[in-house]
Amino acid sequence: MTDLPDLATKTRPSIRIQNAVKSFSGRVVVDIDELNLGDVPVEGLIGPNGAGKTTLMRMIMHSTSLDRGTITLLPQGDASGDGIELSNLPSHRMAHHGVVKSNQVIMDFEKLTIWDSLLLSAAAAKYERPHRIFSEDDAFDEASAETERYLELFGFGDPAAFAKAAGEKKLLDIARCLLLKPRFLLLDEPTAGLPEETTAKVMEEVRRLAALGTSVVIVEHNLDVIWNLCDEVHFMAEGRVVMKGTPAEIRAHRTVVEKYLGEGHV
Amino acid sequence: MNLDWLDSFLIYGFFTIVIVAGLGTLLHLQLGLARMANFGVVGFFGIGMYAFGILYVKVDWPFEDPWQFLVCALCGTLVAGIAGLVVGWLIADMNEDGVLVGTLGFATAVFILATTEKELTGGAQGMGGLNFPFDVGGVKANEAAWLIVATFVVALIIFYVWRVHRSPYGRLLVAVGANEPLARSLGKPTFRIKLWLFAISSAGMGLLGALYGVNERFMRPTNLGVDITLAAMVALVLGGSARVWGATVGVILTVGFFDIVVQNYLPVPREWYSQALPVAREALFGAALILVLMFRPSGILGDMRRDKLMRSLHRD
Repeated sequence: MTDLPDLATKTRPSIRIQNAVKSFSGRVVVDIDELNLGDVPVEGLIGPNGAGKTTLMRMIMHSTSLDRGTITLLPQGDASGDGIELSNLPSHRMAHHGVVKSNQVIMDFEKLTIWDSLLLSAAAAKYERPHRIFSEDDAFDEASAETERYLELFGFGDPAAFAKAAGEKKLLDIARCLLLKPRFLLLDEPTAGLPEETTAKVMEEVRRLAALGTSVVIVEHNLDVIWNLCDEVHFMAEGRVVMKGTPAEIRAHRTVVEKYLGEGHV
Repeated sequence: MNLDWLDSFLIYGFFTIVIVAGLGTLLHLQLGLARMANFGVVGFFGIGMYAFGILYVKVDWPFEDPWQFLVCALCGTLVAGIAGLVVGWLIADMNEDGVLVGTLGFATAVFILATTEKELTGGAQGMGGLNFPFDVGGVKANEAAWLIVATFVVALIIFYVWRVHRSPYGRLLVAVGANEPLARSLGKPTFRIKLWLFAISSAGMGLLGALYGVNERFMRPTNLGVDITLAAMVALVLGGSARVWGATVGVILTVGFFDIVVQNYLPVPREWYSQALPVAREALFGAALILVLMFRPSGILGDMRRDKLMRSLHRD
């Protein structure tokens, strides 16, 4: 366990998971007594396939229902008592509270261009009402600084074209998430299928957000990303968090390394 | 102006084209953008027509036409919108099959109510007493003027839809239709979006029903047959369900071809008009639908082209 300065934890939102259980056809996939996410800027969630990482992420987002237990968002971190029980929220309200997750599998809006996707994410709801049929220019101008930034940063080609390659769609998914201005960002294998230099850019952006006060939780098989980016790592196996510590501590743990990660990955 | 070439048959044909084009364009918002396959178009059209007609005929209004028409048409539009809200609330969360059955069921309910609520609707015999809200000199002139009114209303609908494609709202509808869970994860309240879309477009269908009722001067349940839904659906799919002009192009090629060209200009034996032609019409529309789905599933105009649109909007 690491003792990070209090400064970082003060206004950083956190998510508290208590007695959260999920099983699929009798097999317990996630069984967590107590887990606090968001105490440090960037947390990693690692573990072998089937450890329950993605399911846990989906449970937080309420796209997978809980068998029992509660998941609570504490917008001001641990300090404040008022929490928002995420499992009671309809899924579209998550983004309103700043809880945003990127998708592990590629998700895209067929027929929408890259520009469309970014504007959809960035545009304020007031522009999207049925009677606002002349508001495109306003919405575009208001969002253009941000959308331009991501178009350039992630190297999208023609914004009026469709995202074609898998990597491009993945990047677009991340860009959509970032444009929502997340307070608590969950990234599920964000760099899978991305070339190295793009991965570096995504990580840089995540680091920037985290420095600005967003809590980030990242599930990733590319362990280099985890070691470089995370302040703390949770190691999951068989639905539980079996170990928690700094990247250095996890890497130094022989059992974990031998049993799950393999020598080459450390 | 010499209107000799324009006989009542022809006006009626043009009027049908205009109304079906309007219905198809509203259906385009539901089916083409938000991917809600409404098979109960005629239900909303019919409930608008009947609500308008009953209020127009049965209520003793303290004012005359055109106010009487305007107030009653507004009420008909509202009733259809409320019906859309209720039906939308029931189906917005359902899959395609549920939407299909739910909307079809609603249209059937409207038809049955129009037939059985004799006190109110005149039952199967129907109800007269509707008239044009103006008199510009003779039946034909009134019908021609009414055609212009309907064309204006449908032009407004098409303009609205054209603008929707060029607005954040249109983008939102396409997103909801393409990937609802993803739209939800971006904070879009997809249920509410679909619900309001359904209510608004149903209200528009109700207004078209009121216009249609005036043109008929008589309301009867046979006006509420599934052929109207089919005409709108076939026109839209044939023209291109994802395109603003899809329904208009489709309706010209189907209803236009049949109701104008075949019925007015081809030497068809007189005795065919009552039975053979309507059946041939449905068969031909059905065949057109099958052919287009086989050989050009996204319709004659093709799929929507957001890439071209975005280029034209944001790259001068």
